[in-house]
Amino acid sequence: MRYVLSRLFYSILVLWVVGTILFFMFRLMPGSPLTAFIDQTSTLEQQQALIARFGLDKSLFQQYLAFLGNLLQGDLGQSFFHRRPVMDVVLEALPNTIILTLSSLILAYVFGVLAGAYLAWRRGSVAEGIGIPIALATRAAPEFWLGMVLLAFFSFHLGWFPAGGANSVGLQYSSNWARVFSWDFLHHLILPMMTLAIYLQGLPLLLMRSNMLEVLQEEFVTMGKMKGLSSRTILLNHAARNAMLPVATAFALGVGNAIGGNVVVETVFSFPGLGRLLVNAVSASDYPLAQGAFLIITAVLITMNFIADISYRLLDPRIRIASSI
Amino acid sequence: MSITRRKLLGTSAFAALAATFVGLPGISLAQSTSPVRALTLYSRAQAANPQQYQAAELIAQAWSDLGLDVTVSGLPQNQLSDIVWYNRDTWDVTMWQMVGRPERSDPDEFVMNLFHSSNAATGFNFVGYNNPAYDAIAEAQRLEMNRDARKVLVAQAQQKINEDQPYAFLVYPTKSYAYNTAVFDGTTLVDAPGLGIKNFMTFITVNPTGTQRDLLMNVSNELNAINPYYISGAGDSWMTELIWDRIMRIGADGLPQPWAAESVTWNTEGTVATIVIRDGMTFHDGKPVRVEDMIFSLESPKKEGTAPMYRPFVDPIQAMTKVDDRTFTLTLAKPNAAFETSTLAKLNIIPEHIWAPLLTALAAGESAESVVEDTRVGSGPFKFERWNQSEVVLAADKGHFSQPKVDRVIMRVVLNVEAALGMVRSGEINFLTDYTGDPELLLSTAKDAGNIEVMDVVDIGFQFLAFNNRRPPFNDPVFRRALSYAIDRRLITGAAWNGFGRPANSHVSPALPFWYDASTEALPQGADLAKKMLADAGYTIVSGRLNYPAGVTEALK
Amino acid sequence: MLRPSEPGLADVPAQPARARLPDLSAGRKRAGFLREIGRSLQTIAQVPRRNAYAAIGLLIYLLFVLTALLADQLIHYRPLEILFSDTYQLKRSLPPSSDHWLGTTQGGRDIYSQLVMGTRSALAVGLTAAMCVVAIGTLVGLVSGYFGGWVDNLLMRVSDIALGIPFLPFVIVLAAFLGASQTNIVLGIALLLWPNSARVIRSQVMTLRERAFVEAARVTGAGQWRILFVHIAPNILSLSFLYTSVAVGWAILTEAAVSFLGFGPSNTVSWGYMLQDAYASQALGREQYNWFLPPGLAIVLVVMGGFFISRGYEEALFPKLKG
Repeated sequence: MRYVLSRLFYSILVLWVVGTILFFMFRLMPGSPLTAFIDQTSTLEQQQALIARFGLDKSLFQQYLAFLGNLLQGDLGQSFFHRRPVMDVVLEALPNTIILTLSSLILAYVFGVLAGAYLAWRRGSVAEGIGIPIALATRAAPEFWLGMVLLAFFSFHLGWFPAGGANSVGLQYSSNWARVFSWDFLHHLILPMMTLAIYLQGLPLLLMRSNMLEVLQEEFVTMGKMKGLSSRTILLNHAARNAMLPVATAFALGVGNAIGGNVVVETVFSFPGLGRLLVNAVSASDYPLAQGAFLIITAVLITMNFIADISYRLLDPRIRIASSI
Repeated sequence: MSITRRKLLGTSAFAALAATFVGLPGISLAQSTSPVRALTLYSRAQAANPQQYQAAELIAQAWSDLGLDVTVSGLPQNQLSDIVWYNRDTWDVTMWQMVGRPERSDPDEFVMNLFHSSNAATGFNFVGYNNPAYDAIAEAQRLEMNRDARKVLVAQAQQKINEDQPYAFLVYPTKSYAYNTAVFDGTTLVDAPGLGIKNFMTFITVNPTGTQRDLLMNVSNELNAINPYYISGAGDSWMTELIWDRIMRIGADGLPQPWAAESVTWNTEGTVATIVIRDGMTFHDGKPVRVEDMIFSLESPKKEGTAPMYRPFVDPIQAMTKVDDRTFTLTLAKPNAAFETSTLAKLNIIPEHIWAPLLTALAAGESAESVVEDTRVGSGPFKFERWNQSEVVLAADKGHFSQPKVDRVIMRVVLNVEAALGMVRSGEINFLTDYTGDPELLLSTAKDAGNIEVMDVVDIGFQFLAFNNRRPPFNDPVFRRALSYAIDRRLITGAAWNGFGRPANSHVSPALPFWYDASTEALPQGADLAKKMLADAGYTIVSGRLNYPAGVTEALK
Repeated sequence: MLRPSEPGLADVPAQPARARLPDLSAGRKRAGFLREIGRSLQTIAQVPRRNAYAAIGLLIYLLFVLTALLADQLIHYRPLEILFSDTYQLKRSLPPSSDHWLGTTQGGRDIYSQLVMGTRSALAVGLTAAMCVVAIGTLVGLVSGYFGGWVDNLLMRVSDIALGIPFLPFVIVLAAFLGASQTNIVLGIALLLWPNSARVIRSQVMTLRERAFVEAARVTGAGQWRILFVHIAPNILSLSFLYTSVAVGWAILTEAAVSFLGFGPSNTVSWGYMLQDAYASQALGREQYNWFLPPGLAIVLVVMGGFFISRGYEEALFPKLKG
């Protein structure tokens, strides 16, 4: 418990430090942050009024305090571009990103774990000789390139899937849930989801395989064999279950990392998620929005790191021994 | 690549150094001249505007033949405007563009704003062109109410600019639009000069033939406002002109005609207009459109800080008086030939009962631009229905005096041009209103699909290269001319704009045939000509670099 | 894009915390520094003869390094040169031919020449970034693991922070604000990717610290730093090497992603730049596979080469992990 609390404390500390680094990074950029949003024909007074409206006339330290104060209240400021609270804009994009990330991760892990276990069991076979290089190749392929290839073939050549977006034009839903569970949304989701899943499955596959190999050598497996249990039972009941634990941890970390990494896939598929929002905000120099989107991604990442850390420790007693050396 | 580049630079620096040493004795013999500094040619980043960037690279290639050291620097929009617009003394040459808008179908805006010296400090004359003779012509054309006499003045203005070359005009791009012939009757679209089929009139007259009665269009940038006092970009200006009516509208012939007014009559001096409004118009909330609303719409932007964007257009108005429930008069300080186009056809009719309280509630330093309404109430042919990040939905106002044939207009934000094309192909969009990609690909897509018709139009706007007229050597018209003549417009049009454009040499586009001066097309071109002009003006080439005429030294870094 | 921060990532040593290094210095307690290094390098050099993965990986690298070195001779045109036909027509989107092996881009550039030149920036970014990452990681790992206490605590908290920053978004923001250059991309990678190698090396150092030969050195009165760098450091060289080969891949992938999003330098041809150009110029709609397949395949190959090397060395040097 003490460990959990201390990790929690560190996580919050890290979030604060990252937030601070971000704040100063965005403020110390050359040029007025508002340049892109000041109308070229407006007068100097109007420009100053606009600067004051966004609080940019105060000292850096005052701005920082205001930033922290607002942050504690869940206020990420006003977007220059959208003229709306950053939180609103971010929350509009977040569900799309979370669904994309989770669905592709689940797909990747289900496939990866099964394939990894299979490859471990078929150690030394031709399947392994082919399977591992393929898994390494998918991990080496840039996601956006995979996306481009899928897009060119399945959308432009075959016309099976839409070329981008998350919903068709003009459709209106009673709620966000209804939208997300519509056939139309799924139709838009499939290509980006497949792209991410192809990229992501390599990790659980390789991880599962190496864990299985390790577990298979441990005593209880040998014991099982001596007891005359069938190899199938051993594989499923004992080895797989034990080898799964680190994979589960990797899943938690994967959520955090993938949300940050979705940037490119969302851009390729014009998928209105958090990553594309961040890229657009950075390109348009919408600093509050870029900062807000970045902070939300960071918060997810740190939370997932925390969960992974805790679960890893709770699930795998060996870690405790290792770290007490 | 970076390695080669560095190596190349290294070698050339070394060569230059060696040349200096070898050349040392020569300097005392020849008259000492000073080389023109290395120049940076700014452009939008390649990813954002590949045509412009490609044109910049071609120009840099052409100029290096003249002995200039030119580097192309592609920047994001904000950094580019930070330099070009806000630090007007710091740059040398930049790529830039002026876009076509309905109110620019009167030449006044470009003739006056782009080159009048009063706009040099902070206004649109960002190149700092200053020629009293031009100023006089520009002012005169605005006062001239006789169209033919004014045409002569506008032609003179174009010739002056042709002589002085404050810009090197490059191309009037062709814009491509496309619509789905299975959804719309093509004969009911209005093709307006300089604007093409995407203009206000089309939205009123276009007739859906089948069950799909929604017009589904696209825009390639996100919107940041839908506000009758503010234009933040192309997309929202298309929406505001449908939601809010105007006293006059630009017709299919490019000329203003009464719209929400029954008549607009001027006195003989051209200083007093009598405006009679249509009977029975209502705002979308059911309230009637009154003379007071019209006066409010034209008066409210006059107040300092309310609507900076619209203020210049109402500035010429001296007084407005209500005559009766359907009539008011409007007095100008002096005649203004462009007034109908630039003011009466541009300003939105805004409901006073909604906006008067909003304007009084503005905090200090805030303008109407920052107001975000929950809903939008106008009196135009389309009612505002909803707007989220990805689309704007408008519904036809069945009670409007010019009721649209379509049921709804839905504008979808599609940032990616490839995706937009895919959506046209799949029918998700039936009116491609904002296409920034390869026109050839659009044509071949349309051909394959069979039910997509592409319509091109030469733009009112243009692409150009701006010289900073304030900074030597660009303060010298001869130098500007030589550099401009060195650029092969045909090559640029073909290689950068893929042939989808028309070589340009005037700030009045051929899309406005009445005003366009075709004599500007006789633009001499060629590297040899440019070299000769520079040599005649005293410029010399010393060890491959262009040098100033004797006696002139480089004053800038 | 994931980054190798997961425990037991398969293309870095599986379960590194529990890995035991081969005790290279057994029975050679007073071996000289150079000799230690030499032996480490020798071990590294021997692996490919025994392991197919390592051999193939090194072969791939050799191919790319040679291409990069000979790029000036291999290219047919300058990669950014705008090409025109004899009739002054832009050579736009030509299909592959004997003159243009991979065709031309929509902007009239030779794709083959860009692909070849892209090798240089890929390797330049990949190698410099990987060196930075592993240098920082090794140093932090060494100091942290050997001295322990507050130094260790501080360094590990700093690494927590680095791990808490979303990697790709950070590099994008950095490139967007500090200017689109490969140096800034390398900087971004170096600033965030070191903790992974640092942590693994730290735990190795923690076990090495207790070994007999270190104890012996201490008894003979060797200074702390001397022990650290002369006796311990050479033993983790192979581990650093392993991380370098993986980090090269991550750096190349990151550079490609950043360039693809349009935050890369516009005057340097890289594979990411090529893909960005292809995407922005609608190569997908035109189905110009000859344009957007080759750069992607090149990335896959070179990154895979790194993974192969690390895997091969892992199997050869840390056989316990192989099971």
